[in-house]
Amino acid sequence: MTSGLTSRNGVRNENYLNLKAVTLEPRPFPRADGPDKVTGTGRYAADMVLPGMAFARFKYAEISHARIVRLDTSKAESLPGVVAVITATDVPDVRYSPGVADRTLFATDAVRFEGEILAAVAATTEALAQAAVDAIEVEYEQLPTVTDVVQAIAPGAPLVHPDWQNYEVSAETEQRPNVASFSSIAHGDAEAGMARAATVVTSRYVADASHASPIEPRAILAQWEGRKLTVWSATQVPFDARAGVCETLDLPTNQVRIIVPHLGGGFGGKCGFHFEAHIAALARAAGRPVKLVFSRKEEFLAPDRRREGMVVELTTGLNADGTIAARTGTLLIDNGAYTADAAFFPQLAAMLAAGPYRIPALKIEASLVYTNHQPSGSVRAPTAPQACWAIESHTDELAATVGMAPVEFRRLNGLRSGDVGPVGQTYGEIGLQACIDSVASRLTGETGTEADEAIGLAVGWWPSFPGPSGAYIKIDSDGAGQIITGAQECGTGAVMTLRQLAADELGMAAEDFELVYQDTGVAPYDTGATGSQTLFNNGRAVLLAASELADQIRQLAADHLEAAPSDIVLSDGHASVAGSPNPAVSVAELAATAAGAELLIAHGSGKPGEYPETVGASCVGDQGVAAWASPQFSCHGVRVRLDSETGVVRVLNVATCHDSGTILNPLGALGQVEGGVLMGIGQALTEGTQYDEDGCQRNPGLLEYKLQTAADAPTITTQFVETTGGQGPHGAKGLAEAPNVATAAAISNALAKLIGSHVTQLPMTPERVWATMTDATPSDADRDATGHDTSEPKSGDEL
Amino acid sequence: MTIDEQGSESESIGYDLHVNGQTYPVEATLDRNLLGVLRTEIGLTGTKEGCDDCECGACMVLLDGQPVNSCSYLAAQAQGRQITTIEGLGNADQLHPLQECLLAHGGVQCGFCTPGMIISAHALLERNSSPSRDEVGIGLSGNLCRCTGYAKIIDAVLDSASNGSVEPTP
Amino acid sequence: MTERPNPLLIANTIDEALDAVSRGSTPIAGGTDLVVGARQGNKRLPASLVAIDRVEELQSIGLDSDGSLSIGSGVTHATLMSSTVVVTNYTALADAAALIGSPATRNVGTIGGNVMNGSPAMDTGAPLAVFDAMIQLSTVAGNRQITTSELWVAPGQTSAEPDELCTAIIIAPQPDRSGSAYVRLEYRRSMEIAVVGAAAVVTLGLDGTIAGCRIALTAVAPTIVLVDGLESLIGQAIGEATLATVADLASSQAAPISDLRASEQYRSHSVGVMAKRAVLAAARRATGESISVPVNRSIGVGSDGQRQWEAGAS
Ligand SMILES: Cc1cc2nc3c(=O)[nH]c(=O)nc-3n(C[C@H](O)[C@H](O)[C@H](O)COP(=O)(O)OP(=O)(O)OC[C@H]3O[C@@H](n4cnc5c(N)ncnc54)[C@H](O)[C@@H]3O)c2cc1C
Ligand code: FES
Ligand code: FES
Repeated sequence: MTSGLTSRNGVRNENYLNLKAVTLEPRPFPRADGPDKVTGTGRYAADMVLPGMAFARFKYAEISHARIVRLDTSKAESLPGVVAVITATDVPDVRYSPGVADRTLFATDAVRFEGEILAAVAATTEALAQAAVDAIEVEYEQLPTVTDVVQAIAPGAPLVHPDWQNYEVSAETEQRPNVASFSSIAHGDAEAGMARAATVVTSRYVADASHASPIEPRAILAQWEGRKLTVWSATQVPFDARAGVCETLDLPTNQVRIIVPHLGGGFGGKCGFHFEAHIAALARAAGRPVKLVFSRKEEFLAPDRRREGMVVELTTGLNADGTIAARTGTLLIDNGAYTADAAFFPQLAAMLAAGPYRIPALKIEASLVYTNHQPSGSVRAPTAPQACWAIESHTDELAATVGMAPVEFRRLNGLRSGDVGPVGQTYGEIGLQACIDSVASRLTGETGTEADEAIGLAVGWWPSFPGPSGAYIKIDSDGAGQIITGAQECGTGAVMTLRQLAADELGMAAEDFELVYQDTGVAPYDTGATGSQTLFNNGRAVLLAASELADQIRQLAADHLEAAPSDIVLSDGHASVAGSPNPAVSVAELAATAAGAELLIAHGSGKPGEYPETVGASCVGDQGVAAWASPQFSCHGVRVRLDSETGVVRVLNVATCHDSGTILNPLGALGQVEGGVLMGIGQALTEGTQYDEDGCQRNPGLLEYKLQTAADAPTITTQFVETTGGQGPHGAKGLAEAPNVATAAAISNALAKLIGSHVTQLPMTPERVWATMTDATPSDADRDATGHDTSEPKSGDEL
Repeated sequence: MTIDEQGSESESIGYDLHVNGQTYPVEATLDRNLLGVLRTEIGLTGTKEGCDDCECGACMVLLDGQPVNSCSYLAAQAQGRQITTIEGLGNADQLHPLQECLLAHGGVQCGFCTPGMIISAHALLERNSSPSRDEVGIGLSGNLCRCTGYAKIIDAVLDSASNGSVEPTP
Repeated sequence: MTERPNPLLIANTIDEALDAVSRGSTPIAGGTDLVVGARQGNKRLPASLVAIDRVEELQSIGLDSDGSLSIGSGVTHATLMSSTVVVTNYTALADAAALIGSPATRNVGTIGGNVMNGSPAMDTGAPLAVFDAMIQLSTVAGNRQITTSELWVAPGQTSAEPDELCTAIIIAPQPDRSGSAYVRLEYRRSMEIAVVGAAAVVTLGLDGTIAGCRIALTAVAPTIVLVDGLESLIGQAIGEATLATVADLASSQAAPISDLRASEQYRSHSVGVMAKRAVLAAARRATGESISVPVNRSIGVGSDGQRQWEAGAS
């Protein structure tokens, strides 16, 4: 890390001059779970069965805001095959949720969104369970719905939670009427800066809500044996799930074991604690195991996990030379009816809206606004794709205003190594500029763009999240290794890469290790597959454990080879004395010796990386994510083609570049980037949740909520800037979320070149593109004003 | 989802299903889908349910060598036909070349789409042994993958095709 | 226990199928509408079904003695899109079949099922309408043939009697120098349902001007719409003005609804675009030019053909 070498005025720290993006050659990556997954033998939660198990169904509100006048489950209880019916009165009276405790397992007095659970039923078949659910009677008194974030904060708006002031909140949470959590970031004097600016540009962008949509719908199976509870759950965060079960059912952690079979993707959709407690309570009431498998429709409607809709207003003042003088912004984030894990979203979104730019004066205010929609929660880079889409579209507008090429504007204003960021955090070596260079050269290097094509780019940033994490490693008598880790594999390959980390440290092969993972009953704590933190934190734990184990092996080898432990080197599964590969003793032989004496077992955890300080900035409602640990930077560029008569857009190719520090597993990293890009294209063009006027989802299915298909997939090239200073193992930063930040923004900017102005609603559906073109068919003068001179046929080819 | 409101009251019918070269007698009501019968009665859980709506392709199986969304196909209608599921294509000791290619190219992440993807790829390569990149994309377009962005899956299928790795189904 | 018909009969011949239908069984071909609809809870699964997917007699495509094309109702979309006679002479139908669902949907879904399901968004409907196809409905007593507009009466509703089985779709030969095309608006390149669509068959005179033109529209009314007033195009050359007229006629005769997929205004506008593209592609095919099936992917947005397309339009 640097100190005293900062360069706010554009003088680059000479130590950072040689940063360059590179194309990484993938190293073979034998996934431990690969054979299971390609042969169909791997078990996912929905595949699990237990003798005597009953099937669960939920009774949902199906109305977005109402007072419960009567809830009668008696008919359901008397139906054949029904083994349990439970409601709020059958579980402890606990309000939970980090940040703002506004949630209960079952609706009590009122329902606040259509997917709220009134009752849960277990029966001997799913059909009987559904029949029982249908027999539950509920009478409502309808309450006014709040569906619009702007109206929600207007004076006199109906309150989603009339009792909000009585909820328990964390010390950091700043509440207001219909605002679950408010954050502002201020640095310098934004008003004065704006007043002095040569030009001021204001933009307003509105993003619809969207969904994580993992292909596996969630499934849960719970079984009690005496007072011990085991839950098999399709969760990304088994330890969070355990904490939730313990909190809501009032159980100690050592009586609850959460096991995750193979997990069919999550993308945040399976973060947080969801339905494990409902099913556990049902299983207890039923006196037998109970299983829940969600339909795709439930997957859309019920979880407290939706990518939040957002209204973003930004004003930026520019100096005559094109540098940014000041920025103000207001963000309204649709929290939905309950807070899930979203209390920190306003601060994250505010940082995203500041963007990775040098901004001397800044004031951004962000509110997490209650509505009667499905709750929002962390979905892959929460708030980022929408906020980045807004800020980066705005950035292209800024560039046009001062007549600069978008890429030059970013080069001028973008953060550089050693700079001080929006909250006074001083960055070390960062690769933003190298990312821009890499993408710009690849995109413009292509042969000419046709009149219906254009290229555009956007930059993004995203933090890494240091946290506690643990792992054990042991080597048994035959030399076979086992890594027992609290980490959770959601598909990214993060847990799979742990084998390689351990193997490299121990001079062994990845294949020498088997993994025991995603089981709270056997492994130490880890935060879970959330916040791109698995390799970042658990990698640290595994490395520490591996190095402790290496010491143990060296000690044994030293006795065997009659040398000092410090002279022993481990490679190819053998120990030998440095400089003389013969004689060597195999790790297996040493392990056999150890098996009769002191066993080869090691554990690792280690202190999590520290969060940097914020300096000279004021953060109201500070949730601790204003200064970014191991910040990641990215640039995405796209070439799009527009059917100008219909507004249909296709992304033809994508160039990306990421600074995520050291890349531990290139093949896995490329997979994360490519998956993130496709998700970003979906968010940009086809993925948006539509609501009816009562706040109910109109498209909770995969036909009308359209993910991109293989036929839509563009070619994607990716480079990495391997900066130093990442707090993860060997200098790694996080990675899985960062690729889901800048794609939609890049598409927006490319598209704007073709139609003369930005589409201000996300997703930029064909109809919205068409409406933007027809509403504001730009005259040539307009186009000049935005700096995109379409009189020149190749204008789309410039960045 | 219940189709027949009589639920379990409706009569079961008996028939045989031929799956991966083996015959299984089945007793089930008419409304049962092939996916459910494969997973529950026959116990082959490699075929997945992602939507029960013909939209995701996780449930893809081969019926007489051709791909079918088993979630939306009546089990009883499959009697007399040869059904191939992912379990019929290869096993951990002897992976099918498509399975090997997918792993080598990094085309597997969470793996939930993978069985269906392999089935569709298999059918595609049987139809067209040297597809273009675009043809692979169209051929796999009934199989959603949320993890990979498809690039590595398409690479794997193209690689597999260039090795001429698909033999006719048993 | 009450006497119940056999829940599922597997027919091997037309006679077996007709017999079952006469006793109240509902035909199921690929089941891609019937089973999907039932699982979504839209329509209950009938208590008795007759599977007709193994009736070989229903699976052939052949020429009748008068030169008409006869397509068995059990012909799958996969077969239809790769049939030489369909691709050569009734290309619009191949365009439509090639767009339906995914390879799996096309592999089991049939033209008979598409036609008898009667959805206003059905893709083979507009091509069949412009070809003036006759739908052959059969009972144990005999056959009758009706036009598509007689068959489709409302969304998801046909005029066929419950004991009638669709056995074939018959299309008269097209005049010389004819070409056809079906284009639909889609938001993704696959797995779509027509937001709107249009089929056209264009016959050119010896001088290259339009000698005949029929256009039908998908998903802009309760049933497939045949566009009126196309006589004005006769004798016109294909060019910007003609295509603009086509677009206007199509847009003005569309009576779409607003729904999740699109607003009424956008549908009206874009169906005009589809109509003019269908006419242009049909006219180019009429000249003998080969544009591969489906037009959507060979000339659609994102394909390199799109530019040749635009070049052709000006
Ligand atoms: C994922 C997916 C994508 C799709 N995409 C498209 C698309 O792009 N375009 C489109 O048009 N459609 C689409 N469909 C709808 C459907 O696939 C087609 O309509 C298909 O042609 C139906 O044929 P089938 O053989 O499966 O019909 P079935 O489902 O077997 O039957 C449909 C109806 O017709 C009746 N029927 C079937 N055959 C006969 C007969 N010979 N005589 C009398 N009645 C009969 C049945 O009783 C039933 O009521 C899609 C469906 C799915 C699941
Ligand atoms: S489960 Fe069959 S297509 Fe999704
Ligand atoms: S690998 Fe996860 S959905 Fe494809």
